[in-house]
Amino acid sequence: MERKLRRLLKAGALAGLVALYFSLDESTRRYLAHIGKQVPYLPYRYFI
Amino acid sequence: MADYDAVVIGAGLGGISTASLLAKNGMKTLILEQSDIIGGCCSTFESQGYRFDVGASIVEILHPMEKFFQLMGKKREDYIELLPCDPIYSFITEDGRRFSYPTDIDETTRVIESIAPEDVEGWKRFCSLGLEMIDEMMDAMMTSPLNTVGEALAMVVKTPRVMRYLPLLARRHQSVVRSYYRNPVILSSVAFQSYFAGAPPELGSGIFGFIALSEHLGIYYPRGGMISIPEGMLRAGREHGLEVRTGCKVERIILDGRRARGVVLEDGTEITSEVVVSNVNAKVAYLKMVGPENLPPWALKAIDSYRLSMPCPMIYVGLDEKPDLEAHHTVVSGSIEVMNRVWNLYYTKGVIPRTAMSLICWPTEADPSLAPEGHHILNFLCNAPAPYAPLGDNWDRLKDWYKEEAVRELERFVMPGVRDHIDYLEVSTPLDFERRLLSPQGSIYGLFSDLTSLALFRPHARSRVIKGLYLAGSSTHLGGGVPTTIASGIITSGYILKDRG
Ligand SMILES: Cc1cc2nc3c(=O)[nH]c(=O)nc-3n(C[C@H](O)[C@H](O)[C@H](O)COP(=O)(O)OP(=O)(O)OC[C@H]3O[C@@H](n4cnc5c(N)ncnc54)[C@H](O)[C@@H]3O)c2cc1C
Repeated sequence: MERKLRRLLKAGALAGLVALYFSLDESTRRYLAHIGKQVPYLPYRYFI
Repeated sequence: MADYDAVVIGAGLGGISTASLLAKNGMKTLILEQSDIIGGCCSTFESQGYRFDVGASIVEILHPMEKFFQLMGKKREDYIELLPCDPIYSFITEDGRRFSYPTDIDETTRVIESIAPEDVEGWKRFCSLGLEMIDEMMDAMMTSPLNTVGEALAMVVKTPRVMRYLPLLARRHQSVVRSYYRNPVILSSVAFQSYFAGAPPELGSGIFGFIALSEHLGIYYPRGGMISIPEGMLRAGREHGLEVRTGCKVERIILDGRRARGVVLEDGTEITSEVVVSNVNAKVAYLKMVGPENLPPWALKAIDSYRLSMPCPMIYVGLDEKPDLEAHHTVVSGSIEVMNRVWNLYYTKGVIPRTAMSLICWPTEADPSLAPEGHHILNFLCNAPAPYAPLGDNWDRLKDWYKEEAVRELERFVMPGVRDHIDYLEVSTPLDFERRLLSPQGSIYGLFSDLTSLALFRPHARSRVIKGLYLAGSSTHLGGGVPTTIASGIITSGYILKDRG
């Protein structure tokens, strides 16, 4: 039961984030998409 | 025993600044420059009696240059004569409206009042925060290292007020300027500067929003052309024994394990040194000169992940009469949306933009000696930025078409009838920039600059992968620009001198 609830919460949070993303204007969405693509490289960039 | 204490690859501003400061501190230093002229993007070449600037057209924020000469124990005025340019620029909107921004802040208030009285209050707030920030942060942010968390903390401890300005770094250029202004014309006149940092207003960091204010501290043109800046700095270095060899292309960095030991030139000559400084694009330094085989996988991933900064074709025009312009710089630009569209719908899709977005520089206004008597020069960036690889075509084939476009743009927005007075017309395409300066894909500011590739996340001035290798110039902290790359040399030489004890 608890596991189901946790999954439901996670799905709800994800749906919320997706809804939030689509409520943003196009320019902000482009910005977030751009930054999102760069973020995974930050730990590597820090050490070069 | 090594041939030199330090070898510097490239005689751009970052290279000359680093090398001169090392020479001043007693290091036997050599600069190797592949071109026959020094200065890289901040240089001047001669053709048919005209002296055209390769790229950079003005210098602002003099602090790093003054600090360089102070560290060299010299007076800047004895080496470089700077001519003030006022008004800062004349602005032309897409629908043909014209106005000029003077250097004086009170006079600028009156200009803004005449266009958008509702934005005067915003301009005053902009000045109040911006002038304080520029004053307090100049040393802390410009000429101090900011490569590690430790250095960032040291900066905060030394200048706690920096915390007040850090949110600007994380915000976007367009959101910062929009929080001060509402009028679309005023907004576009303070937003196009995001391209001076190589990004559209929707991607560029908000801290660059204050370029529109730093210009009011004065913009300058060096007598003799932009090359006078690197030449003056080099002269100061030479007085301390600095050596320079032009026409010398470095092919590789000599490695002993993960330690730099010197360089190999194109003709196979080896020059050994304790320290190697790269003033070339960081991607070239690591991927070509060090070589991927000598990098650990994580370092390869890091350097691969950087995007190159944008290229910009540059048009060089010689005129047989005085142009009808009001300022050293004339800017033609559309709205913030147009600036973003140029990036999203044209540049990133490989299409050459056809929207009004140009920066026209008139250097002979400040220094008539650059052209034959009675003649004038215009250097301009037309419909910038433009892709390195235009879809389905090639810049060598597009050259003549592009020249025609540029003349049409000049006639349409700036000077009707200019065609009849053109005595010289040349274009440097992204391919030409790549050939002239070996800058990959003609990138004009080294690497792309956004929140994720600034300060701690830009390639470090002291390599953490290759011992004895240091980097200076636009690929390092602070990015492209005349003052910023001079500042990078101050930072890099500081590391080297510290490491040598
Ligand atoms: C079109 C344009 C307009 C600009 N306008 C302005 C402006 O108005 N104001 C401003 O402040 N900034 C401006 N800039 C930016 C500024 O000019 C640069 O950021 C700055 O000059 C770069 O300095 P750097 O130290 O990175 O070296 P670079 O100028 O990049 O020089 C690097 C040097 O290394 C040499 N090199 C490359 N490969 C090798 C090799 N293998 N061996 C030996 N040598 C090599 C190159 O020939 C070059 O001389 C402009 C730039 C461009 C291109």
